[in-house]
Amino acid sequence: MEYILELKGITKRFGSLTANDKINLAVRKGTVHAVIGENGAGKSTLMNVISGLYRPDEGELFVRKKKVSFRNPSDASRAGIGMVHQEFMLFPELTVLDNIMMGYEKRKMGLFLDKKMIRKQVETICEEYHFNIPLDEVVQDLSVSMLQQVEIVKILYRGVDIIIFDEPTSVLTPQGIEGLFDAIRFLVKHGKTVLFITHKLKEVMEISDDITVLKNGHYVNTVTPQQTDEHDLATMMVGREVLMTVRKEEKQCGEVLLEVKNLSVSDYEGRAKLDDVSFCLRKGEILGIAGVAGSGQQELVESLFGLRKSSGGQVLFGGKDITHLNCRNHRLCHIGYVPQDRISEGINREASLWENAIMGYHIVKGFQSRYFLNRKQAVSFTERIIEQFNVKAASTNLKIKTLSGGNIQKLIVGREFLQDNSLLIIEDPTRGIDIGAIEFIWKKIESLAAAGTAILLVSHELNEVMEVSDRILVMYDGQLYDGGGHGEKTETEIGLLMTGGGIL
Amino acid sequence: MKGYIKLLGLDTVWNILKYVFSFLAVMVIGSVLILWQGENPVTAMTYILEGSFGSIRNFGNTLRWITPCILTGIAATVAFKSGVMNLGIEGQLYFGAYAAALFGFYVHLPRFLHVPSCLLAAGIAGMAFALIPALMKLFFNVNEMITTLMLNYIAVLLTEYFTYIVMGISAAGDSLALSTPPIQDTARLTNLVVKTNASTGFVIAVTLVVIIFMVYRYTIVGYELKQVGENRRFSKVGGVNVTWTFLAIFLLSGFLAGLCGSIEVQGTYGKFTASFSNNLGWDGIMIAMIGNTNPLTVLVVAIVWGILKAGSLHMERMCDVNRLTVLLIQALFVLFITVDYRTLFNYFKRKGAIE
Repeated sequence: MEYILELKGITKRFGSLTANDKINLAVRKGTVHAVIGENGAGKSTLMNVISGLYRPDEGELFVRKKKVSFRNPSDASRAGIGMVHQEFMLFPELTVLDNIMMGYEKRKMGLFLDKKMIRKQVETICEEYHFNIPLDEVVQDLSVSMLQQVEIVKILYRGVDIIIFDEPTSVLTPQGIEGLFDAIRFLVKHGKTVLFITHKLKEVMEISDDITVLKNGHYVNTVTPQQTDEHDLATMMVGREVLMTVRKEEKQCGEVLLEVKNLSVSDYEGRAKLDDVSFCLRKGEILGIAGVAGSGQQELVESLFGLRKSSGGQVLFGGKDITHLNCRNHRLCHIGYVPQDRISEGINREASLWENAIMGYHIVKGFQSRYFLNRKQAVSFTERIIEQFNVKAASTNLKIKTLSGGNIQKLIVGREFLQDNSLLIIEDPTRGIDIGAIEFIWKKIESLAAAGTAILLVSHELNEVMEVSDRILVMYDGQLYDGGGHGEKTETEIGLLMTGGGIL
Repeated sequence: MKGYIKLLGLDTVWNILKYVFSFLAVMVIGSVLILWQGENPVTAMTYILEGSFGSIRNFGNTLRWITPCILTGIAATVAFKSGVMNLGIEGQLYFGAYAAALFGFYVHLPRFLHVPSCLLAAGIAGMAFALIPALMKLFFNVNEMITTLMLNYIAVLLTEYFTYIVMGISAAGDSLALSTPPIQDTARLTNLVVKTNASTGFVIAVTLVVIIFMVYRYTIVGYELKQVGENRRFSKVGGVNVTWTFLAIFLLSGFLAGLCGSIEVQGTYGKFTASFSNNLGWDGIMIAMIGNTNPLTVLVVAIVWGILKAGSLHMERMCDVNRLTVLLIQALFVLFITVDYRTLFNYFKRKGAIE
């Protein structure tokens, strides 16, 4: 058996935290090797060690039987390792070709850019691996699945043969995922090796040849899909049994709370991003909105919460017109919002935990005095979130940027969930958190709804929308289409709606 | 050592190291500069201290210089802390000073009314001048850094022009010592130290710093102001009225700058003189940057600044070192303090580990 990449006893510490503890990993040449684990299990750290972003504190790295030590990602790239990041690392204003060659330009006479040659090389790669990307389009105009292809081509252009994918499917539709998997299979057939990080077990079972499970920074096991099933994997990852389904009970929803009538939103250039959308939401109902990223969900949510001006239509909340209110007044109406972009909208990185936890709470729930900040009350509210949402944090005075992404997300969700809102607008509440926590948040959503809170769930995880929602709407190109009630339509049917198929 | 780091938090330790390092670096460079001019650095330093604390008069003079440093420093701090890049403190200060001079000269009021109303008029004038860039930002999205910077020139020249009008002389005439008539005695601030320009303005300044510190620490408004400065989008989503906050902070900063101008007039000069300020507004910006926009550290830095300002004149009189050396050292300190030592250190550490 030929191992193209071997890790022996890799240990990486951050201060007192050991993110990777003596991890061994052996990747066979020409295979898809999946690395799975909960959040904070050390997957990303390990991948960053392999791709040269971090230097391990202990342990050795072998590429093609040769011991290597990477100083930076370019070293890794030279050794044939490249990474497709979860958040695409592309310049939105540049063309696809410019993005691909960035940093790896070919030169004429050592001085001039040889674009012709680069183009030829990129075209050859595209042809060889069956990628069909428009080289001259500006990146910001492309769809997400297209961007991912650009990332892959970019990596291939650098001449790598070990490709790391960091949670590549989280942004794709089911059809997009199939496309990606086809591409991965094709890459492997051509002798490339793929390392695949995910926490979605179904995908792991489908695509990988070997599966390595990490837990709490430790290596648990490496298995093949034939030896195991999803249930076993989940148990291995979490250390206990997980039920990834929310039991749906028949329930009676209350009166209509939110009514959206013919809402339209245009962008700066006057293009309709949201086109005449109408729906209503009852008390205690969970309305899920599925859709490919960029179909108008962002615009819908932002205009519902007063972050963006609508160009037409009306939003009624409990019979009251809230179309033109700002965020503050939305909050005062007891509408909560979990933003998708947790770093720039959900938190203030520079502030402490408690400062982040009371944002919104400080106006709505209010402190005893309108003017003075009651530090004790702020801290006790923060501690309630930490306790109920299982946020791993040593102190409420810590800066929030010291927390891991999953814990930050839990804090944001906790902040909005614990404010007794009557309507919650939730965008991707489980993005980037582990299955144990996902299950937990889903249950919280359920129980909030059972207590009469209306919930608008906008998620790019189709699975999430289908599991949690009482009713599903599908957004495509700025319009909403009926996705039926819970369990009424199959994943494929909804996937088709998401991409504009099946719409007459 | 490790125990201390844990106790204070890594960030605080780095912060302290930053100040210590900057201080040492500035001291070394300053000493070289002084040696170059043929003087002993220790002697020069002694003269600075003597100039600022040597006698009661010197001490009073130091208080006089600390006062505007505190006020402009806090004006800049309030703005920067909420992400408003108000570089127009100098201009707002001129308008405040001018308003105070006019109000102090033309209006006749009993003392207990005249002093505060004069201060208020100056604050409002500074505020009004800050309103221009604030509105330009809100309605036309013009970067306030540029507008405030440009409006500084306008303020200096416009107040000079207004002074001509008040004096009833033409610009063609002699413009030396161009100033408004002296303000009424009822508008003058009380002297703190006899025969010096140290006035109750110092007390006002320190009180304001303390109030602002309390606002940031204990009130909901203070909490919101800080959050807006650190992440505007987050605050907006969280329900803070960001537009209102922006406007309020801009005006407050202008108000404080105007107040500083009026204290200069009411406490020291007794009249408005064209181009009188000598970059007090810019001192404030430097102080706010060194003090890392924390009201209490700003107070400390402002005091040091005032000491240097008052002492450097004495130093120049007593030895061969040029007063500008002190300005140079102050500017260097700002440069050193703005360096991100932590990132730099980690970079070299990484490099060192590889070699």
